[in-house]
Amino acid sequence: MAIVSEKPVNVYGATLSRRQFVKVGGVLVVGFSFVGPELLKGDSGKATTLKNSLDPTLPSSWIEIHPDNTILIRTGKNDFGQGTTFTAYRQIVADELSVPFEAITTVVQGDTDRTPDGSGAFDFLGRGTPNIRKVAAYTYQAFLDLASERLGVPKDKLSVKDGIVSGSGKSISYGDLVKNQQLKLTIPVSGSLTGILGLRVEGNPPMKPVSQYTVIGKSFKNSVISSKVAAKETWATDVRLPGMLHARVVHPKTLGSTLVSAGQLDKTKFPNSQVIVKGNLVGVVAPTEWEAIQAAEQVASGTKWTEWKGLPGNAKLYEHLREEADWKTAPVVKGRANRGDAEPALASAHKKLTATYQLSYMKHAPIGPTMAVADVRPDGTVHIYTHNQNPQELRGEIAMMLRTTPDQVAVHAYPGPGHYGRSNGGNAGAEDEAVILSQALGKPVRVQWMRADDMQWSTQSAASFSDVQLAIDEKGKMAAYQIDHYMPPMQDDRLIGAVLAGLPTMPAPDVHSDFITSTTNNISDPWVYAPVPNVSERGHGTFQVGQKASPLAIGIRDHSMRTPVQFQQNFPRELAISEAAALAGADALQFRIDHASEERVIGVLKAVREASGWDSRPAPRPNAVSTGSTPVRGRGVSLMYRNLTYWACVCQIAVTPSTGAIVVEKYTIAVDPGIVINPMQLKRQVEGGAVMGISHALFEEVTFDESGITTDDWISYPIPTMADIPDIKVVLLNNPKVGTYGGGSEAANALAVPAIAAALHDATGKVIRRLPLKPAYVQALLKA
Amino acid sequence: MVTITVNGVQHEVQAPGDTPLLYVLRNDLQLIGPQFGCGLAQCGACAVLVEGKEVRSCITSVSEVANQEITTLEGLPARWAKQKCLSAEEAKRTLHPVQQAWIEEQTPQCGFCQNGMMIKATELLESNPNPTIAQIKEAFTTSGPSPNLCRCGTYVAIIDAVRHAAAIMAKGR
Repeated sequence: MAIVSEKPVNVYGATLSRRQFVKVGGVLVVGFSFVGPELLKGDSGKATTLKNSLDPTLPSSWIEIHPDNTILIRTGKNDFGQGTTFTAYRQIVADELSVPFEAITTVVQGDTDRTPDGSGAFDFLGRGTPNIRKVAAYTYQAFLDLASERLGVPKDKLSVKDGIVSGSGKSISYGDLVKNQQLKLTIPVSGSLTGILGLRVEGNPPMKPVSQYTVIGKSFKNSVISSKVAAKETWATDVRLPGMLHARVVHPKTLGSTLVSAGQLDKTKFPNSQVIVKGNLVGVVAPTEWEAIQAAEQVASGTKWTEWKGLPGNAKLYEHLREEADWKTAPVVKGRANRGDAEPALASAHKKLTATYQLSYMKHAPIGPTMAVADVRPDGTVHIYTHNQNPQELRGEIAMMLRTTPDQVAVHAYPGPGHYGRSNGGNAGAEDEAVILSQALGKPVRVQWMRADDMQWSTQSAASFSDVQLAIDEKGKMAAYQIDHYMPPMQDDRLIGAVLAGLPTMPAPDVHSDFITSTTNNISDPWVYAPVPNVSERGHGTFQVGQKASPLAIGIRDHSMRTPVQFQQNFPRELAISEAAALAGADALQFRIDHASEERVIGVLKAVREASGWDSRPAPRPNAVSTGSTPVRGRGVSLMYRNLTYWACVCQIAVTPSTGAIVVEKYTIAVDPGIVINPMQLKRQVEGGAVMGISHALFEEVTFDESGITTDDWISYPIPTMADIPDIKVVLLNNPKVGTYGGGSEAANALAVPAIAAALHDATGKVIRRLPLKPAYVQALLKA
Repeated sequence: MVTITVNGVQHEVQAPGDTPLLYVLRNDLQLIGPQFGCGLAQCGACAVLVEGKEVRSCITSVSEVANQEITTLEGLPARWAKQKCLSAEEAKRTLHPVQQAWIEEQTPQCGFCQNGMMIKATELLESNPNPTIAQIKEAFTTSGPSPNLCRCGTYVAIIDAVRHAAAIMAKGR
């Protein structure tokens, strides 16, 4: 075969070279390589390609285009139910490459040895330009250059349809262009493979104009749904390795207990079981799952722990946070939208709102408890089979724990129960315990947490409170808005098994940690009421509750959860805005419009007003009552801007004052993400988010005593049933002139919460500024 | 030794008789449709049909269901094929209408609970081929040992899919 060298071609900052003709067995690929000093920083400190990683300088790392015109794409982002990698990613790549959706036959995601870019299963659409979009755009330009040369037609005379490049009466398919060639396109990439944000494709290749989209905008189906529904998908829970042992972990009695002695195993009952103790980590393994469960229960009953009472207990949570927590060590963060001078405006207010809003701890509460299979092999390599949102970061964390290098660790990603952010920083809970036990036994080990382990030993969404002061002037306009947000940090990525076993793991959230794990409380809810002249938003951070007092240094561990931090800041803001409208005697929806200037903010508010049949009047409603056993109805509205998407919702509720029971009867939500990539998938995500929002508003609260978390199952931590869901109406505002596409999997879960709280005020005339709106709390507060 | 019949196939199970059916199905018979969700019959992820009734396999010992007809998610297509007397060739190509509808309506998100949801839907539609929304909500909330829980909040999509499945079943294929 002839070897041909070509001069490299510059493709909008990337470099295309065609080094030779080679025979490669019919699979030919387009690939990319790195430039830049940030290469793989954070793994070993060296700018080097990891072993057991896809070498990004090899052609097959991102996109494979085969001679038969089928295409494979790879992403490190491990979709757990958003559907984005299987639908939107395919649609984006198809449009950038001008191929049909069906041409992209395979999506590889998550596996650390089979995907190039890492990062977590969040912000899939990458502020409008996910890595895979840029890669496709570079590839498209490279194909035009190749075709121009092959066909002898100038590039600007070429067009592509269905993967066939045509011009001046000549044409060639992508498959034929790659046949018997090795293409190497070098594109700029930065970032850290095992960091939370992973790698980022740089540069600005020209993107397909929105007017030319033919695949984006259509409701393509998610291929993984078909295989899950038909019981054909291999889930993490299904992984079974030869010689694998089943394990359960006996977690400490409290969040500060250390081990006194592990219980003796009754060998007459459990002859095949073993107890493994590493520091404060007690594991019980057996060849069968049922024996492991029973043996662990028996061992647990005899295991002795030290006592510890270092938590305030949830009844005193907010008192503890306000009076006892250290808010002085972390720097106070000022909001980017801060302007004017709130203090004098508040001092001279015509009317003034002063209020405190409180949000409880909430669990990610996956429907299946976390689990993992680990295989620490005699050659020192470690294989982990699990469901994880950020496999590359887990890989780095496990390497740190074992004092080895990430190239020794491979994480194999499988579908599993959604856990909404819990593992976006690398671990969900059981992975490290499985590794520790596998290493001790020299065999593959499967650790499955039980329901109580998952409720009591996983991380949670942090509790918070916010103090608001708001001034209304004589014209009924907001003259000043001042808010102080107080919240412990929400990104504790430490491995719990490593903490218990006394093995290395990353530091606890602290003042000097990097921006993700620091105690700093950033302002995360973009301000949408631009005309307000005086705005002061401040974020106050502290340490996790109980962390400093616990001998294990853990306390109540917190981790970002769907719409993290923004949720905790949007609830107080939006409920306060509704209260401000009431104070001004204005309609809550029109009041928002009157304080907005952005067209898209006003657009979602008008859309939700029309779709919900909202009639203009101030709250509370005429005849609002806070007593009696007759249900009384009310409605509320809320607004959010997140990840390039504008959201507004209206909730209509019925509350029975005598019992405090709230039923959400109607939920209307308007969503403007710019370009709607896949209407069906977006609608389903929004509906699911809406239901989770109702759950957060009405049901969810982690309870704890002085020693640990006391919610341990679906009775003590209820979520909605099908009977709890209202009539849900989703209004998708396709807004292609914006030219970008925003996210749709978050926000909806936060949006319902202030709207439901405002609806309670509308119905009863009383404001409850504390979540969740459980019947007992509502009943007590309405009586007060 | 316990003998159980799952999806029309008899199995002699070595596991002790008090072993929850879930672990026998998943670990001994490699029937992975049912999932471990809570082990407390509080969520429904582990549901199977026993003699056509939805049962939580996480708290049902294998000896309790000896000699009874058990159907898992894997067995739904054959169950439908048998009910409709489809030819072997047709049966191979056919999913249960509930499964077809779950795909058509793009119901699952993470999908972990959906085994139980499809089992519950099958139980419902076999006794009530055209349920109202109120009857669907009743079936998924109060008819079983606990409500069937979905953390992703796919209840709207489940209702859509049950009604879609009812329409497919009414057409008979």
